[in-house]
Amino acid sequence: MRHGLRPNFQHRLIPLAGLVAAVAFFLTTGLLAQQPKPNEYQVKATYLYNFGRFVKWHGTVPVSKGDSFPVCVLGRDPFGPILDSTLAGETLDDKPVALRRISKPQEAGECRILFISSTEEKRLKEILVALDESGVLTVSDMPGFTRRGGMIQFVLEGDKVRFEINLASAESARLVLSSELLKVAASVKRNSGSGD
Amino acid sequence: MVLHFNSHPRLSSSPSRGDIHPKTQLSVSRLVHGPIRAALRRFPQTSSTLAPLPLISFAFLLSLMVPLQNGRAQEVDADKTAPRNLKQLSLEQLGNLEVTTVSKEPEEIQRTAAAIYVLTHEDIRRSGATSIPEVLRLVPGVEVAQIDSSTWAVGIRGFGNSFSKSVLVLIDGRNVYTPLFAGVDWKLQNVMIEDVERIEVIRGPGGTIWGTNAVNGVINIITKNSKDTQGTLVSVGGGNVDQGTGEFRQGGKFGRNINYRVYGMAFGRGPQFHSDHDNFDDWQLGKGGFRMDWDNRGSDSFTVQGDLYKGGVGQRENLAFYSPPASINLDGTEHVSGGNILGRWSRKLGEASDFQLQAYYDRTYRLGPQLGETRNTFDIDFLHQWKVLPRQDIIWGLGARWSPSDFIQTVATVDFLPHHQSDNIYSAFAQDEIAIVRDKLSATIGSKFEHNIYTGWETQPTARLLWTPSPHQTVWAAVTRAVRSPSRLDEDLQLTGFLTTSPLPVFLRVAGNPRFVSETLLGYEAGYRTLVTSRLYVDLSLFRNKYNDLTSFGSPTLSFESSPPPLRLVVTIPWANEVKGNTEGFEIAPNWKAASWLELKASYSYLNLDLASKSGNLGTGMANTDEGSSPRHELVIQPSFNLPKRFELDPTYRYVSALPAQAVKSYSTMDVRVGWRFAEQMELSVVGNNLFQPQRAEFGGDPGGLLGIKRSVYARIIWTSDGK
Repeated sequence: MRHGLRPNFQHRLIPLAGLVAAVAFFLTTGLLAQQPKPNEYQVKATYLYNFGRFVKWHGTVPVSKGDSFPVCVLGRDPFGPILDSTLAGETLDDKPVALRRISKPQEAGECRILFISSTEEKRLKEILVALDESGVLTVSDMPGFTRRGGMIQFVLEGDKVRFEINLASAESARLVLSSELLKVAASVKRNSGSGD
Repeated sequence: MVLHFNSHPRLSSSPSRGDIHPKTQLSVSRLVHGPIRAALRRFPQTSSTLAPLPLISFAFLLSLMVPLQNGRAQEVDADKTAPRNLKQLSLEQLGNLEVTTVSKEPEEIQRTAAAIYVLTHEDIRRSGATSIPEVLRLVPGVEVAQIDSSTWAVGIRGFGNSFSKSVLVLIDGRNVYTPLFAGVDWKLQNVMIEDVERIEVIRGPGGTIWGTNAVNGVINIITKNSKDTQGTLVSVGGGNVDQGTGEFRQGGKFGRNINYRVYGMAFGRGPQFHSDHDNFDDWQLGKGGFRMDWDNRGSDSFTVQGDLYKGGVGQRENLAFYSPPASINLDGTEHVSGGNILGRWSRKLGEASDFQLQAYYDRTYRLGPQLGETRNTFDIDFLHQWKVLPRQDIIWGLGARWSPSDFIQTVATVDFLPHHQSDNIYSAFAQDEIAIVRDKLSATIGSKFEHNIYTGWETQPTARLLWTPSPHQTVWAAVTRAVRSPSRLDEDLQLTGFLTTSPLPVFLRVAGNPRFVSETLLGYEAGYRTLVTSRLYVDLSLFRNKYNDLTSFGSPTLSFESSPPPLRLVVTIPWANEVKGNTEGFEIAPNWKAASWLELKASYSYLNLDLASKSGNLGTGMANTDEGSSPRHELVIQPSFNLPKRFELDPTYRYVSALPAQAVKSYSTMDVRVGWRFAEQMELSVVGNNLFQPQRAEFGGDPGGLLGIKRSVYARIIWTSDGK
């Protein structure tokens, strides 16, 4: 190098040493990986289970094959194995919970609880129309979900996961949401209307 | 800016426009790919709490044994996130549980058919960087080399030079390229780092959407919505290079739906290392501005924002004089000032359609020892996304840009002719994303048609394919054509240097060439992204770019001049388009969220440039300069530790291979940030940069030899209040 800049003798060794150290480090620490706070989808999965406990289906129970309580995820699944482990071995409405991942709105009619992934935002209207009054509890975390006629929408309030309810939509599908659910909701929309 | 014979113009682009984007002034991903969302949601975010990790050390090795205690200490608590325990909580308790939120960004990134990398606000904060180019060092495939205190050479996949010409840079949808030299003047573009929400970087041609500047890549800087900057922020800091910084921001609300912020910032940077003790490169800047966002919680949203700035940049410039024939290196200050105002309106027209309209005005003024320029830019863009048919997602747009400028001559030997010129651009683009198999396979085709004043219409098409065999894997490939249309530097420059006085005065002149054509790129790219486990994400990109008509020097001509006297011989070398060739390479970037208290990011970038002269030896010199000015290997290893007592430790290790054409050797170095939130609203951070060496050069650019970039340390304290 020119102009009195000092040559750097370490530059060949350091990348290697850095790599070795990093690899060793991660091998050690990776084994000990822990996660003290739940992530938002762990909490959302737990809510989904709880909705099954705090909602009563009257009359038009969705026609489900067999004697199970189907919980469905439509579109790209944001939960991953979290939802499987949350629902594993549970019963709701005296029926074993069955988790289904579906890609067509037509398959959703069989579900009791339907989580609609935000990938479906563009065809939400189509989905909700298809489900009209079929007694499926619709849940999503896409923005504007309850405004557009969805029943329960997860919202983040700071670091906390809360939910909003569109009671009119739930009632028109003849679902009865328990007062406990309404009490803890971040907001409850009572007048009918399915947004835009 | 500094013009001289070392800093040649390079591939990239010139007058162009920044296309915008529905919702977030162009969340790149939404344009380049489609709306499908993805699997990365599963990727747990590193949380900010953790168990005891008793160390503050810059070495990895030291920390090797320590975490052992940690893990144990946590085991007891760990179960509380187990499903069965969460299910025992009441609804109310669930609603009060603090969670780690999952970034919404990566899912779209995961589904983008382009080599995209996003630096989040958290990444930027924890980098400890005080300027945008410093943050960009963390992005794979991006080469950042500091020339002096205020100047950086930034390139993507090669072709970094002092004009940072190979890439298009946008700040909140505002194109900050200058048609003067088809580059980015980073010293005018300092944003308040705390306000940056994210920086999206696309490696590879983006001309189809962004137009003729986006040849090698796009850097899109997006600031926060003012609803996310409520309350007050005050920060002060200082150190040996970042000598003093101060920032103030105040956010508030008008009614329910209108949020705003105002801010002011100032900083002074000291000189880097000069072996001749000629410390010319100090830099001071003051800046202030506002942003206001209105969202009616329905179909419309409006944003208005603006900035004003003024500063002085110390420079050394080589100036030639005809009479008496001479050449001197002169230290002086370039005075810079300017401002901008931007408005944007987004509207949702229903389930399947939305549009965005954006307009801005930007003024820049610069006056230094070598030259000056006043430029006023007016830009308007319209963008419409439209799902006409079930499987078609169409985005189209129109744009116009008028950019009148006046060159201010300060010495007879540097000129741009004509002095007044308006660089205008008109453009249209359309692209269609077709879902071949829903959620599995999609194809995107599109093109930009853009008219510039130098070469007329340019066409920049692309074809992209995106395949998601499983929710955790993405494979993509693309073929894209991009062009860099000429700038004033290429066509209008007259830059004269002094050679000798005997036997008669001889001058060398680099001259703009009115027949300069656009540089072109045909890029072939492919990539693979996968979530190996819920904590390990790997992104791999490969590329091969074919360039043609790259800038070179043309055949010299001799002439005698006597006006102004005395009589002299002038050797005139025009710009030409005599270089062509290929570049190829790959980048691999793993990201491992090892634990709640540790995240590891790393990247390795490989680049090979193979450029040659098209005819004879004319272009050989430039081809060699280009080949030798980009690193073949770059390695970044960046662990982030969340320590007890709200300490954060962020070391970044970097290795950059040699740049023979810049006489810069390979180097390894480390930057370390230690942050401590010692009170709810107070954060103290100490950042050390370039810790392995007292100083070392990264890139040439200033006359008189290489500067050393110094080891530096600064401390900063930030006070924030959320205003509630």
